[in-house]
Amino acid sequence: MNLILPKIDLPDLLQSWRKKFTVFLPQKLERFSHFMPLDDANAEILEQPHNTRIPPKALFLPMTEALVKFTRFGTYDDAELEVSPRIVFGMRPCDAQAVQLLDTVFEQEQYTDPFWVKRQEKTIRIGLGCHVPCANGFCTTVGYGPFSKDGLDILLTDLGDSFLVEVLSESGKTLFENLHEASEELKNQAKEIQHKAHDAMPIAFETENLKEKIEQNFKSDYWDEVSRSCLGCGVCTFLCPTCFCFDIVDEVQRQERVRNWDSCMFRIYSLEASGHNPRPSRIERTRQRLSHKYAYWLDQIGLIGCTGCGRCVSYCPVGLDIRAMLRQAQSLPFEVSHAE
Amino acid sequence: MPDINALKLEAKRILREGIVDVVVGFKPGDSPLHPQPAFFRNEDEVEELIHNGLCKNNLANYLTRLPKQEKVGILVRGCENRSVNSLIVESQKERDDLYLIGIPCEGIIDWRRIVEQAGEHISMVEDNESEVTVHAPTGVNSYNRFDLLHESCQRCLHRNPVSADTLIGDPVANGSLELATQKVKNFESQDIEARYAFFQKEAERCIRCYACREACPSCYCTECFVDHNTPRWTESGATPAGMQGWHIVRAFHQSGRCTSCGACERACPMDIKMTYLTEKLNHDMREKYNFECGMDAETKPPFQTVTLDDKNRFFVGGGK
Repeated sequence: MNLILPKIDLPDLLQSWRKKFTVFLPQKLERFSHFMPLDDANAEILEQPHNTRIPPKALFLPMTEALVKFTRFGTYDDAELEVSPRIVFGMRPCDAQAVQLLDTVFEQEQYTDPFWVKRQEKTIRIGLGCHVPCANGFCTTVGYGPFSKDGLDILLTDLGDSFLVEVLSESGKTLFENLHEASEELKNQAKEIQHKAHDAMPIAFETENLKEKIEQNFKSDYWDEVSRSCLGCGVCTFLCPTCFCFDIVDEVQRQERVRNWDSCMFRIYSLEASGHNPRPSRIERTRQRLSHKYAYWLDQIGLIGCTGCGRCVSYCPVGLDIRAMLRQAQSLPFEVSHAE
Repeated sequence: MPDINALKLEAKRILREGIVDVVVGFKPGDSPLHPQPAFFRNEDEVEELIHNGLCKNNLANYLTRLPKQEKVGILVRGCENRSVNSLIVESQKERDDLYLIGIPCEGIIDWRRIVEQAGEHISMVEDNESEVTVHAPTGVNSYNRFDLLHESCQRCLHRNPVSADTLIGDPVANGSLELATQKVKNFESQDIEARYAFFQKEAERCIRCYACREACPSCYCTECFVDHNTPRWTESGATPAGMQGWHIVRAFHQSGRCTSCGACERACPMDIKMTYLTEKLNHDMREKYNFECGMDAETKPPFQTVTLDDKNRFFVGGGK
C-alpha cells in the first residue's frame, strides 16, 4: 500500500497520534538531533540528511535501567516496566535494521529479554529513507541500503512537498487511514529517488572473504597497526546501533540491580576477578570489536553485525575509520577453506 | 601554519641521528576533517606527516601509552608542550627521553562548525592564516578562521611552545588574560541555581563513554575511580547522580594539572561543555597560588607539594 502524505499535514497528524501514543521523533538538542517525545508544541521536523547522534537502540535498550528492586532484608521484586504505546518517527533504515538485528540477541528461543520484548511490542516504527546520502555511512557496502525496509512498519520517501508512505505492516496501516493512494507517477518518482540514493552510496570496502581474513589473521600485526592511536573510549560502541553489551551492577544505596551499557573497548570489560585480563590492551579490544561485527555475527546468524550508519567514523575522537581498517584487512593473506 | 617540509626534515633528522625511536605527529585520515595521530619510526614513514588546524588531539596523551623505555620525538603546540611538562613533573617521562618539536599554534578548528556551515561532504579544507576555505559539493566557501576555532583555542593564553627543543615557524601573539578568564567570570557571576542548572544540563547529557578521560593527557591512571568496583565509589549508571559525580570528580582531579587544551570537549560525542569547570580551577590556581600548569618541567602543582612533615596531623611526622 502506497499513500501520499502532504508535508503540510504532518504536524497535525503527529499531534493526532499523541492521543494514543507517545511519539518519539528527532528533535534538536544542543548541536545535534536526538529522539525525544513530542509535546503539544509543534516540533520542528528536522529534515537533515543524517542520523541522530544516539541511535534509537536507546529507546529499546536504555543506557541504564533497573531490572530488580531489592531490600536489605533479602526480599526483592522485579522492576515494573510500564511502556505506553509508542511511535518512533523518522528512524533511518540503518537504525531500524540494527534494531531488527538486536532482536536476534534479545529474543532468542531460550533467552528472552522481557524488557526488550515489551518495548518492541508497544512500538510502531516509521522509517524515513535517506534521499541524501550521508558522508560517512556505508549501508550498501554491508548489504543494506538507504531505503531498506527491514524492521520498519512504515517507510517514508521524501518527494519534496510530500512523503510517499509505504505501509509494511498491519500496525502501520491504522496510522494513515485518511490518506489517498499515491498515483503511479508519484510511485515511480519515489522509486527513482530510491535508486538514485542507492547508487550514490559508494562501496566502501569489499565484504567477500572478509570474515576468513579476520579470523585467519587473529595474531597478525595488523591489529597493532590499526589500534595504535585508539584511545580506548566507548564512543564507537556506544554510538553504534548494533552494539548491545551491558553490565549488571547492584546499586546498593538505591537498592536496585541495574543494567548499564558496557563497551568491549573498556579495560574493565574483560577484567576478571583474579586480576587477569584476557584482552589486556587496546590491540585485543579493537580486534574483538571488528571481529564481532564482521566475523562472529556471521557465525551466529549469518549476517554482518554492522548496518553501515557511519557514526563510529564521524565521532571517533582520533579519526579512526572502520572503512579504512576493513579495506586494510582485505589486503591480509588468507587461505580459502574447502568445506568437505 | 608550520612549514610542513621543515617539520618533516626535523622529524627525519632526529630519527636518522638516533635521537629518538619514534616521532608522534599526525597523518591524513580518510576525511580531511579527521587527521589521525600517527607514530613515525623511520624516515620513509615521515613522508605521511601532516600538521594543520584540524589536528585536534593533544599528542602528549600518547607519552604514557608508548613503551616507557622509548625515546620519543613529539610535535607540540603550546598546550601540548605544557602537558608534556606536566607529565615530566609527575614522573611519567624523563625530559632526556624526549625531543620536542615546537609549533606556534593559531588554534584548532572545530570540525563540527565546518559541518554545520558547509555540510558533511567536505572534499578539502584549506587552512590559511585568517581564513579557512572549505570545498564542498555545494561550492567553495571561506570562513573567518577565529569563528571556526574550538572555544578553548579562542581563549587560549599560551599559544607558543614553552620549552621546545626546536621551534618550526615564528612565534605567534599570545592570548590575553582578559579573554582567557572571561568565561569563568561570566559563570561565576551567575547565582548558584543558574550555575547548578547549567552543570546539570551539561553533565546529564553524558553517556559515560569516557572519551573525555581517554583524550586527556593528565588522565593516565591505570584504574580510574569510576572503574573501581570493589568497593564501588560512584553510581555506575547514566543516572543524574552517576553523571554529575563523574563530571565533578573528573574536574577536581585536574586541579593544577589542566593545561586548558580542551581535548576533553573536542572528544565528547555529546558536545558536553566541560572546560568551564577546569577553567575555574585553573583560574583559582592562577589567582591564589600564582601557578599555571606545565609552564616549566620542574614546578609541582600546589596540591602535589605535600611532604611527610606536613603540619597537618594526618601526615606521617605531621602535627608538630
